Amino acid sequence: MATSRSEPPSLRKDETTSGVRRPPFGRLLIANRGEIAVRIIRACRELGIESVATYSDADADALHTRAADRSERIGPAPAAESYLSIDAVIAAARRSGAEAIHPGYGFLSENADFARAVEAAGLVFVGPPPATLESLGDKLAARRSVSAAGVPIVPGLLVPLVADDGGSVSPGDVAEVGFPALLKAAAGGGGRGMRRVEDVAGIEGALAGARREALAAFGDGTLYLERLIAPARHVEVQLLGDRHGNLAVLGERECSVQRRHQKLVEESPSPAVTPDLRSQLAESARRVAGTVAFHSAATVEFLVDADGGHYFLEMNTRLQVEHGVTELVTGLDLVAWQIRVAAGEVLPPSVLEATPRGHAIEARIYAEDPHGGFAPVSGTVTTWCMPEGPGIRVDAGVTADTPLPGAYDPLLAKLMVHAEDRPAAVARLQRALAETAIGGVQTDLSFLRWLVDELGFRAGAYDTGIVESTWQNGPSLSAEERSLAATVARWARAQAPSAPGMPNDGAVAPPSAWQLQARREAVDRRRPR
Amino acid sequence: MTDYEPSIDGEPVEPTASWVPTWIDREQGLVRVGDGEQMEIAVVEGAGTDWVVTLRGRRIPVAVRTWRERVLAEAESASRGHDGPIEVRATLPGLVVAVAVREGDDVSQGATLLTLEAMKMQNEVRSPRSGRVAGIAVEAGQAVAAGAPLLRIE
Repeated sequence: MATSRSEPPSLRKDETTSGVRRPPFGRLLIANRGEIAVRIIRACRELGIESVATYSDADADALHTRAADRSERIGPAPAAESYLSIDAVIAAARRSGAEAIHPGYGFLSENADFARAVEAAGLVFVGPPPATLESLGDKLAARRSVSAAGVPIVPGLLVPLVADDGGSVSPGDVAEVGFPALLKAAAGGGGRGMRRVEDVAGIEGALAGARREALAAFGDGTLYLERLIAPARHVEVQLLGDRHGNLAVLGERECSVQRRHQKLVEESPSPAVTPDLRSQLAESARRVAGTVAFHSAATVEFLVDADGGHYFLEMNTRLQVEHGVTELVTGLDLVAWQIRVAAGEVLPPSVLEATPRGHAIEARIYAEDPHGGFAPVSGTVTTWCMPEGPGIRVDAGVTADTPLPGAYDPLLAKLMVHAEDRPAAVARLQRALAETAIGGVQTDLSFLRWLVDELGFRAGAYDTGIVESTWQNGPSLSAEERSLAATVARWARAQAPSAPGMPNDGAVAPPSAWQLQARREAVDRRRPR
Repeated sequence: MTDYEPSIDGEPVEPTASWVPTWIDREQGLVRVGDGEQMEIAVVEGAGTDWVVTLRGRRIPVAVRTWRERVLAEAESASRGHDGPIEVRATLPGLVVAVAVREGDDVSQGATLLTLEAMKMQNEVRSPRSGRVAGIAVEAGQAVAAGAPLLRIE
């Protein structure tokens, strides 16, 4: 497959001189939704590939469904019957005549059975071989093989806490992990199924909830225990490999701004990584990749402790939400390269020797209430005003008037900035956030605006505890904010026509269109130039 | 301008005369508000007396009333009393994972009432005020729709 797809060098040269590259595939199906589906559609368009979106009933009018060249319904709203249904996705690929499937992140992206089903259907899976997904999907097996390759791992169990036969690990082994510890799902990451436990006795109470969450998210409730390293920074290394054994190490991303073990803000390079640590991380990441047969995009996640020691956490063999940060500093299109290496292309020196330039930061915009424990909210996005200008990139899955189905991940968009250095990037993010306005639902925008002013963040001196220790539910409204909100609301009501059945609110007649226009002009005149 | 009285959380708030709002996009409720030195982009939604202003990313509910509407509302709330029962409802569709209270329990404001799993995450539903738990309408393992009554605080 790989060799049959790569073209003779002479042909490639012709294509380059004509300015048109032969598309790696004719048609590609995207087994995902939201902003990442839109991201992949854009890559397809640039590569000359026809994109096929998949959608559940809840997403019939979603942005990704409308943005693709064609779209296929794959089932009702619950993810288990649509985006997680291997049969439905394969059937949609067959119907649409797609040659390849890009799984995005989450959903089926790291599901070995899915990758195998894709290949069995004669299609190309944009990702690593199924066997690789299998061995890395089991975080416990990965811990064992990575440790054997000489890469430091977080101290803890190498076997499940509760075995398949119902038996459990000996109390001695559990005590040896050290406390506080983290209960983790063997089948996945993203904070799902993860619980902090203070001592051996605390495991009992956390077990059932963690197990249920892991089962719901990954279909596998196997848990293990790892020592909690705190304070720690979460640093990950981006890898890109082809089917011919070439591997590019594309620098690191700092992902320590988290709530519930889920990332909110990422940046590259990490303000905590020295040149020496950077080469250690790159070497460890290469060793981790060497434990498996690997191609496509992957991320090796590490914890870095206060002394600069690093510990392998996990390897994700898929696109990460935060891949755009690396794209900005390297100038590479990781999604396009994933698709091209899937078709058998060889990574050129421009990728293998890419040197990061400047500093990039990503802020994730979630439909959730940062003043109420970051609980997800549902509703309809009524207003959607995104920033523009130099060094700004927005990857969004919604527009104005988008209802949020409430059944999926509440990520709405990713706001990314790129600048010469970190202070310039922070200033640019601050400017971009001030230009951003979203109506209809509460988002984490208020948190993000607070964060770019926070001293620890500005100095680059923060760890994974930053949200919990310094934000909590955020500062209460200041007198100035209350007064400003009151000013805007009073003005808006005065501008609004009276509601029917409420003549004049017991006040004056509503202003005519002429009066409103005159008032607008008067206000414009008052505005300083 | 009619003498409108804005209030937040029941507290009257004095508007700032030096900050002038102008529409950026009236359809979308997009407002520019500035005092000549600083500028903020806000979103305003609402009608009648109930408005929500999103300022610096935060949704702030503002009541805007004429004095007559205020007097009427105060009279109504005085006759209803402040300690009437409150229905606690699900804000999202989800699964009730655990119910932390029993009928007749005294709870304080902010106490965890139950755990709701929505979007694959567990969220704690907290008591909107202090009172006594009455009429628990759900049990662990039950799926609930958005807006479904969960229990009552009296």
